[in-house]
Amino acid sequence: MRTRTSLLGLAFVSPALALLFAFFLMPVVLTTVFAFTNMSTSTGITGGSHVITGNLLRDLGNAGVDDDIVAALSEGSFSVTPETLAAAAEAGVEPRFLGEIESSLMGQSFEDARSFESALKALPSRPTRIRDLKLATEPFERSILNTRYSSRAAMETAIASMVPDAPVDTVSAIAEASYTGWRWIDGGNFQTLLDRPETIRIVLNTVFYVAATLAFNVFVGLFLAITTFYLPKTGAGFFSVLWLLPRITPVVLYAVMWKWFTWDNGFLYVIAEQLGLPAFNYMKGSVPTAWATIILVNGFVGASFGMILFSGALRAIPVQQLWASEVDGASRWQQIRRIILPQLRWPILFVTSYQTLSLLSSYEQIWLTTNGGPGSTTTVWALEAFNTALNNYTGNLEYGMGAAMALILVAVGLILSILYLRMFRFDELVNKPRIEF
Amino acid sequence: MQVTLKNFTKTFDDTTVIDSMNLAVNDGEMLALLGPSGCGKSTTLFAICGIHRINGGQILFGDRDVSDVPSQKRNVGVVFQNYALYPHLTVFENIAFPLSVRGDSKPDIEREVRAIAALTHIEELLARRPAQLSGGQQQRVALARALVRKPDVLLLDEPLANLDAKLRLEMRSEIRRIQLETGITAILVTHDQVEAMSMCDRIAIMNKGEILQIATPTDMYRAPVNKFVAGFLGNPPIVMLEGRTSGDGRFLVKEGTSLPLPARLAGMPGDTPLSLGVRPEHFGAAGANRVEGTISFVEPQGRETLFDVTLDDGVVLRSIQPARDDVVFGQKVVWPLDAEKLLAFDVSGRAV
Ligand SMILES: Nc1ncnc2c1ncn2[C@@H]1O[C@H](COP(=O)(O)OP(=O)(O)O)[C@@H](O)[C@H]1O
Ligand SMILES: [Mg+2]
Repeated sequence: MRTRTSLLGLAFVSPALALLFAFFLMPVVLTTVFAFTNMSTSTGITGGSHVITGNLLRDLGNAGVDDDIVAALSEGSFSVTPETLAAAAEAGVEPRFLGEIESSLMGQSFEDARSFESALKALPSRPTRIRDLKLATEPFERSILNTRYSSRAAMETAIASMVPDAPVDTVSAIAEASYTGWRWIDGGNFQTLLDRPETIRIVLNTVFYVAATLAFNVFVGLFLAITTFYLPKTGAGFFSVLWLLPRITPVVLYAVMWKWFTWDNGFLYVIAEQLGLPAFNYMKGSVPTAWATIILVNGFVGASFGMILFSGALRAIPVQQLWASEVDGASRWQQIRRIILPQLRWPILFVTSYQTLSLLSSYEQIWLTTNGGPGSTTTVWALEAFNTALNNYTGNLEYGMGAAMALILVAVGLILSILYLRMFRFDELVNKPRIEF
Repeated sequence: MQVTLKNFTKTFDDTTVIDSMNLAVNDGEMLALLGPSGCGKSTTLFAICGIHRINGGQILFGDRDVSDVPSQKRNVGVVFQNYALYPHLTVFENIAFPLSVRGDSKPDIEREVRAIAALTHIEELLARRPAQLSGGQQQRVALARALVRKPDVLLLDEPLANLDAKLRLEMRSEIRRIQLETGITAILVTHDQVEAMSMCDRIAIMNKGEILQIATPTDMYRAPVNKFVAGFLGNPPIVMLEGRTSGDGRFLVKEGTSLPLPARLAGMPGDTPLSLGVRPEHFGAAGANRVEGTISFVEPQGRETLFDVTLDDGVVLRSIQPARDDVVFGQKVVWPLDAEKLLAFDVSGRAV
């Protein structure tokens, strides 16, 4: 009986568990996996093959691989083997001539076209025209450059055949380096981030962006909630809806509105011009105005969120408490500071923590407005991660690096959540309204 | 401090709740504002402490017109019906609140709070929060907070309504004790006549925004000005009989029974329509007149027993007597009626 009920329970929660797994856990797991690879557009996300390219050879040379080997790999060679003979037959080389090649040159290799050609010229049935002779050499050419090998072993064999005297470990290192798919690079992405000079700049930008926007959210939200609370009822409803607009406007439309507001010949521009103030593209024209734009764009969305929560909490305070504080002699300000604000503690902490987390991972509005500019002065971590992984100008999207950056955000978010949960004890927040008067 | 309302008028939107009320509360007196729910008692109280702005008339504290003084400056202590304690503050901080917003020094606050906590017997609760207190304890804290800055007037809005029966009894005498010890002028709002009668020096009885009578509890009980007051006071309530005078010192209930009129009304001309009020304690105890009927209901109340007696023509009189079990349901009884104590009201409900 007990097992049946627990099975039944499991059956009931399994959809929730599946959802949790698919939409909450999987993204984090995938991000974590990607973060430790060098996946990018060029590596693809499935497996790759082994190719030696000109670039790779240059890199190998720079990395200290013997110049002779590099040179050997870059050149083609000519060898007479059953395969090349078959290829030549296919290519339509004259059979008698082929027979002579087979009988006299079988198993031989030639380093360059010239020596192979002179060996061929020694044969009786050689073509008379020099052009036919050159054509006949082509099927025998074996070059490793830009040839795809599906496995590493095949690549190693090919290298060894090109440079028979190369040491085994060099061969295997070259084969390894020739892999075109993605691979595990342990903490390589994180090391790269640590080494990059822009990283600290982006971190500081992010901290500034989150702190400033958060402060705006909370203070403006509180200010609006308290002023509308003291406003006569009729006006309050109108203002609530007004302040909700940023929240309910589609984000793209909202961003466009801000563009119109701050851009060249936009609303502010025209007004500033009329007043003789500096008029320029405020959104992208200077660092302080770019920051101001971003903070306001995000700030108003968050402020209306805060205002709704704060207003609700305010209205939950019994009016008798406010009356009591008035007859106790408290001025309006004392009433706000000593009766109202302490009782808004939970919503304030909730808005603070919730907004920290959502601001940390938000980039849409920045992307749609300043796009991190001017330069990268307003680029925040989430935007950089997005650009790295999904929106690179050069076309090479670095999934692995982007995932590493996202993973850092997830980690920071997790740590902050735990801290917030600890500090503010959300369970108490949920139980709080039990106290009734 | 004497509190005077002169032609006090209060309207909400277009509804006039109180129209031109006059009331004077003497210095050091505890006055009850008694009336049914919704008659405007709280409204009056909130006007006195300044929470509601008045729409007409004057409110005087002593000789000072406080009509336009904000509630912060009136120096009144208010105990709200739901106590309105600040949930985020400890009991100590709750009581200290009026002093600390005034900017008193820490030692002063400490001393005053301790003193008032001693008066209200809550010294051991000072560190707790309101949520950790019982209803009676919250009540004491609210009282302490209202009294701590020695207000000129103490206003209590249904202070006992949220307490259970036993606590209500206890707090009734406690509030009265504290009021007497401090000598503060107090106004108690209540819909419970027992509270009003047991706690207060005088009662102002209200109905529909109007004060009907102001008197001491005994006077009001003995000589109510009208039918409403007579009906509102007394438990078990008075029985009202409709009928006419006979012209020869008797009263004919419309069902037929004839009852004697008090001597002072014996000279009334015949056929005058009247209401005659019979309180239960005036039937079945003493008196010269005998009334015969059948016991139709018995309710033992411990110390007393309540009877309903149905007369031959169907009129029901009520009687309360020291507990007795010699009379049972259905029994015929002949009980005395104290005619001199009967109350009579004319057609407009005024006492005659
Ligand atoms: N803030 C208000 N707005 C409108 N009407 C009110 C308000 N407060 C009280 N009233 C009305 O005034 C009348 C008296 O209310 P109140 O003084 O609270 O009665 P009570 O005697 O029960 O304390 C009631 O009819 C009530 O509906
Ligand atoms: Mg009331």
